[in-house]
Amino acid sequence: MTGEQIVFLVVAFVTLFAGLMVVTTRNLVHAALWLVAALFGVAVTYVILHANFLAVVQVVVYIGAIAILFIFAVMLTRRDMRDQGPQMNKNWWFGAVLAVLTFGGLYFLLQGWEGMTKTATSYPVGFDAISELGNALVSPAGYVLPFEVASVLLVAALVGAVYVAFNPRNGNSGK
Amino acid sequence: MNPWIFVGLFFVVGLLIPVGAIGIAWLLGPKKPNPIKQSVYECGIETVGESWVQFKAQYYIFALVFLVFDVETVFLFPWAVKLGALGLFAVIEGIIFILILVAGLVYTWRKGMLEWA
Amino acid sequence: MNLTSQDYQVLAPYILLTAWACVLLLVDLFIPKERKSVTALLAALGLAVTLGVTLSQVGIEQVGFFNMAALDGFSTFVNALLLVSGILGIALAHGYVKRMGIERGEYYTLLLFSVSGMMLMAQATDLIIVFIALELLSIPLYVLAAFARPQLSSEEAGMKYFLLGAFATGFVVYGTALVFGATGTTSLAGIVAAAASPSTSTLLLTIGAALVLVGFGFKVAAVPFHMWTPDVYQGAPTAVTAFMASGAKIAGFAALLRVFATAFPALAVDMTAVLWALAALTMIVGNVIAISQTDIKRMLAYSSIAHAGYILMAFVPYGNPAVRDVSIAAGLFYLVAYAFTNFGAWGVVIALEKKEEKGLAIADYAGLGRKHPLLAAAMTVFMLSLVGLPPTLGLVGKVYLFRAVIAGGFTGLAIIGVLTSLISAYYYLRVVVTMYMKEGEPETVRETWLSLTTALTAIVTVVFSLLPQSLFEWASTAVLKLF
Repeated sequence: MTGEQIVFLVVAFVTLFAGLMVVTTRNLVHAALWLVAALFGVAVTYVILHANFLAVVQVVVYIGAIAILFIFAVMLTRRDMRDQGPQMNKNWWFGAVLAVLTFGGLYFLLQGWEGMTKTATSYPVGFDAISELGNALVSPAGYVLPFEVASVLLVAALVGAVYVAFNPRNGNSGK
Repeated sequence: MNPWIFVGLFFVVGLLIPVGAIGIAWLLGPKKPNPIKQSVYECGIETVGESWVQFKAQYYIFALVFLVFDVETVFLFPWAVKLGALGLFAVIEGIIFILILVAGLVYTWRKGMLEWA
Repeated sequence: MNLTSQDYQVLAPYILLTAWACVLLLVDLFIPKERKSVTALLAALGLAVTLGVTLSQVGIEQVGFFNMAALDGFSTFVNALLLVSGILGIALAHGYVKRMGIERGEYYTLLLFSVSGMMLMAQATDLIIVFIALELLSIPLYVLAAFARPQLSSEEAGMKYFLLGAFATGFVVYGTALVFGATGTTSLAGIVAAAASPSTSTLLLTIGAALVLVGFGFKVAAVPFHMWTPDVYQGAPTAVTAFMASGAKIAGFAALLRVFATAFPALAVDMTAVLWALAALTMIVGNVIAISQTDIKRMLAYSSIAHAGYILMAFVPYGNPAVRDVSIAAGLFYLVAYAFTNFGAWGVVIALEKKEEKGLAIADYAGLGRKHPLLAAAMTVFMLSLVGLPPTLGLVGKVYLFRAVIAGGFTGLAIIGVLTSLISAYYYLRVVVTMYMKEGEPETVRETWLSLTTALTAIVTVVFSLLPQSLFEWASTAVLKLF
């Protein structure tokens, strides 16, 4: 077993455990912090896959912004709004069966796929992944169109999110 | 993978130092608990009411706006790295990208969402 | 390697509309609150100008942005229909949002963003574009569904639509990832080429395509992915529902048709059976559950599920080149028929709806025939069209559709279609019976744009059914650019 495999196993286990804690812990703040741990585990997985930029994006966007958004959303609640009900509903066994079946199906499916047994190859010397990405994003033969549409999408989402999050009782709707 | 080992090492060391410090204190220190000692440490005036209160929705809106522009930087970063080599076309593209998002910023600003009122 | 004017021409309508939406977003900030009609007018103007550009592109066929988007007869036809839907949506919304106290400039901006996403989706020839266009059309719709906040039912609708819609988008992304894993490309042309090579894993490709189908099944409200539809259609502001029911369906079906017909013809053997079952199930479940509804919005929601089933019938023979073009044409024709009828029917619902969700029970339509004969006549036309009775567009659409399906060799499915149409007659005609046979004092609102829209759609529904040939011929020229 190489060092990389050991790191991967440790990280994968921590990620899964953190993910499990996110959905089982009753304290919302703890759930958000476990989520940060799970997202961080994914970032490390990206590193193992040599996807350095994605790893940084994972930290900057998911931990730096989305997890913070979650925590702020938790801050909008009060202690007396805590959910006291049972954490499982009566269909839990159905969900469990479905999850196991999906996992088995995916495993079976991906087992036959050549990409499953490949390991990430190292970049050639002097290869600059971020430059390549920049090139792909804006060169006409690359992803110019998704790049520009993404900004339109961000604006549409911003307008929508601001409209939904905005509290009509605050009274600054006049503008 | 190599350069990332240092990042990993940094985390391990960063974890070990506080764990070590607290662990040693726990091992070596005498334990004589009393109720006052075990109460939650409060700095300054004693708290009144619940510690878990509802915050202003404004926090959330700020985080939301931040998220959108955070994603923007993710897209712009590779573009900026490659800017020198890409030529005029790419520059214009990036500017269009930014301009579209500026429209969103103007919208939020003008709506008064960026005010702490 | 640079973009030429050809590339821009391919996406000219989309670029124009997006730019218009961005500018409108800013202009709206300086329009005072009591004059938001100006925003509505500007938005409708933007759609009309874009419609002009789109119509000027009839007959042009080319790809642009290095195979990312295509301009062909199909996209032009669908874009024109989407733009008309947008205009009708604004015409219905204009008075409604005012009356319901939710008149905000964002309504029209978000609607424009949504339409632009739909148009992009109809032109997308790369799965990445399909995904991003899907997001661009969906996100504004989630917000529009919750537009009447803090009214609870609207918030619930927005939340449900958002959660299930995000879930559905996840299916599309996962499917795209599997397709990418199998073929190494997201371009539809590349997928066709890769599918032909023996080293490609057909299993992976099939599962990927199936997941994409599931995602779009959610979007177009096909059974068994329809659960969200009644609640969302009922809770959302009626004007939004009207737009959502046609726009999202048209765009979803357009993308589904393009992706499956261009990229996955090799999978037709497996997919045809799945599509067959989906179509049959959707028609049966939608029509049967609609019978027991007492709320007109819920009834029309189930009716829209049922119609998704009819339109899905046009997909079943997609892998058979002999009937593919005629069945696509029949599907498009049916979408036109459905869009106009749908807008008209929702227009009548809006005319009777009062604040706090009053006036939405089917029983509230009692006496409409005596008190407002014109409105009742219009509603009768729409109900007949939804059943598929003469003299309406709905009948012609069904005839073309069943003919295409039978030509494709799926007589059983056509029989299911006819039988479920018979079932549907029960609950559609119940509305007509209530309007004419029962006593009541329904109150309606009179708004110029609303009346105009209802009248226009009623006239279109009747007149085009008398001369459907020209429309069907246009639909027949709307063939996909294949690779």
